Amino acid sequence: MDPSEVEFLAEKEMVKIIPNFSLDKIYLIGGDLGPFNPGLPVEAPVWLALNFKQRQKCRIVPPEWMDVEKLEEMRDLERKEDTFTPAPSPYYMELSKLLLNHASDNIPKADEIRTLVKDIWDTRIAKLRLSADSFISQQEAHAKLDNLTLMEINTVRAFLLDSLNCMFKLRSNLRPGSSKGQSLDY
Amino acid sequence: MSDSLSDDGSINQDDSQEDVMTPAELIAKLEEAWLNEKFSPELLENKSEVVECVMEQLTHMENNLQRVKKGDAKASVHRMEIDRIRFVLSSYLRSRLQKIEKFFPHVLEKEKSRGEGDPSLLSPEEFAFAKEYYANTETYLKAVALKRMPPNLQTVDLLKAVPEPCLDSFVFLRVKERQENILVEPETDDQREYVVDLEEGSQHLIRYRTIAPLVSSGAVQLI
Amino acid sequence: MDAQSYLPVQPGVGMEENFFSLDDILLSHERLPVRTECTFPRLGFLEKSSDSPDIPEGTKMELPVWLSKGLYERKRRVLSVELPKVYREGWRTVFTADPNVVDLHKMGPYYYGLGSQMLHFESPENPDIAQTLLQTFIGRFRRTMDSSQNAYNEDTSALVERLDCLEKTLFRSGQSGLNGFQSWEKGRASTLTASSLVLNYRKRKINDVQP
Repeated sequence: MDPSEVEFLAEKEMVKIIPNFSLDKIYLIGGDLGPFNPGLPVEAPVWLALNFKQRQKCRIVPPEWMDVEKLEEMRDLERKEDTFTPAPSPYYMELSKLLLNHASDNIPKADEIRTLVKDIWDTRIAKLRLSADSFISQQEAHAKLDNLTLMEINTVRAFLLDSLNCMFKLRSNLRPGSSKGQSLDY
Repeated sequence: MSDSLSDDGSINQDDSQEDVMTPAELIAKLEEAWLNEKFSPELLENKSEVVECVMEQLTHMENNLQRVKKGDAKASVHRMEIDRIRFVLSSYLRSRLQKIEKFFPHVLEKEKSRGEGDPSLLSPEEFAFAKEYYANTETYLKAVALKRMPPNLQTVDLLKAVPEPCLDSFVFLRVKERQENILVEPETDDQREYVVDLEEGSQHLIRYRTIAPLVSSGAVQLI
Repeated sequence: MDAQSYLPVQPGVGMEENFFSLDDILLSHERLPVRTECTFPRLGFLEKSSDSPDIPEGTKMELPVWLSKGLYERKRRVLSVELPKVYREGWRTVFTADPNVVDLHKMGPYYYGLGSQMLHFESPENPDIAQTLLQTFIGRFRRTMDSSQNAYNEDTSALVERLDCLEKTLFRSGQSGLNGFQSWEKGRASTLTASSLVLNYRKRKINDVQP
């Protein structure tokens, strides 16, 4: 999947906005939104929040986890633990990029947050590679991947799945007769 | 803005045995089908009814929007939503077409051997596409190469020449309904088979063949 | 004619191995050292080293995989196939010791593919060969992964130089994952660019106009 498609999915996440306009409830196919009143916080999907923001129609309230102290804690925990700790949000990478790029004036200490998110990402990706390697070398048949986010899975997907396929074919060599390659006799 | 936009009523499908689904649930179904189709190694059963219902919703909404005057704040939000749904819909249909192009002889073979009452793998349009693709490939191969071969070598069995979908590929999935006792086959001779329980909300990396029935039943979502 | 006749060599272990796969076609042209076990009448013209009209029994020569495979029969000995060096015991020991030191491009470049094909010829060594192929792949996996996931925006020719063909394909899928992510992160994914096909087409049109 293209990373922009993962981002597309992340854009469905709800975020709190504070509009500066008023508008009645909108009945979208995917559900109702609003009503929007100036100064009153209301939930909206990220795709819409960013659109309002770009047209200077609202202020975005950063999600709770997008906070320097909380992220520092998560980074430290992520570095300490060998396994994956629960991600700040299932879309932490996508949301950080979207919100920091388009609404950084609404997010306190945006630069620090950017660095922290990147640190968390790097730590998790390093773990992901380590577990991919052990999955391959142990020739496991099943892995539990709780806490991995879609964007993380997506960056290793093609490589890992292709490698597993190759390994499968090489392994079927070990059982003569079972592989397609050997069933035909000339 | 006209009141007709405030249409959040449920879709009542013509055949009343079907469950009543809200438009929001319908869109969720489409997104599920989209991701499953994107990540499964084989072509899944077609979801024509979902596609048709979504199309209906979109047409309905677009008709309403035509009556709205330019610059309406709500209309632009509706248009954005329509664009997003349209994107998912076309990406879903396109990924099915790509698979049909990749596996066409096998797709047609499966369709041929399908029992009377079994649901069709392909929508009527996809079936026509697959047949045409098959015929065109054959004609092309004949024109560029085969007709210049010795007479006894002028046929190519496309079923053998085109690779089959590899059901042993691994896939990533998220569990939607708890499953017990999923049998995991051993990868090597010195491993033993074992069973796992798939807890709701948990994520896994596993061979597609093991969980293929759970994908079609909707118990797991490929990610 | 047998319907399978156009598949004398089974697919290799590539990504999309099939009848139309270029890698598979190249693989089936790899040469194997063989020894004839009977006389091949009137085929002497294929063997440039002698003037005899036949290829006599016991001649050592090289044949492509597809031909060796087609002529090879278990019951009637037509020819025997020698194991290429890289699959023999000496090299297998090297692979077991440290699979990462070997230049698989030089030794291959279809190390895994050809190795799997060799298993079609009967030999008591087959189980060991199959095991070595698998273990070599596993042993080299980490390095293939790390190099493909770390090299961003740099010349990768040095990294892939020693990789087997199959590993090169994997390297490329690793790179595409990394590059996709990096360009998304930099916001490049959102800008549409003209396909190179379109650009080249325009250029050609201009060239056509100016003779």
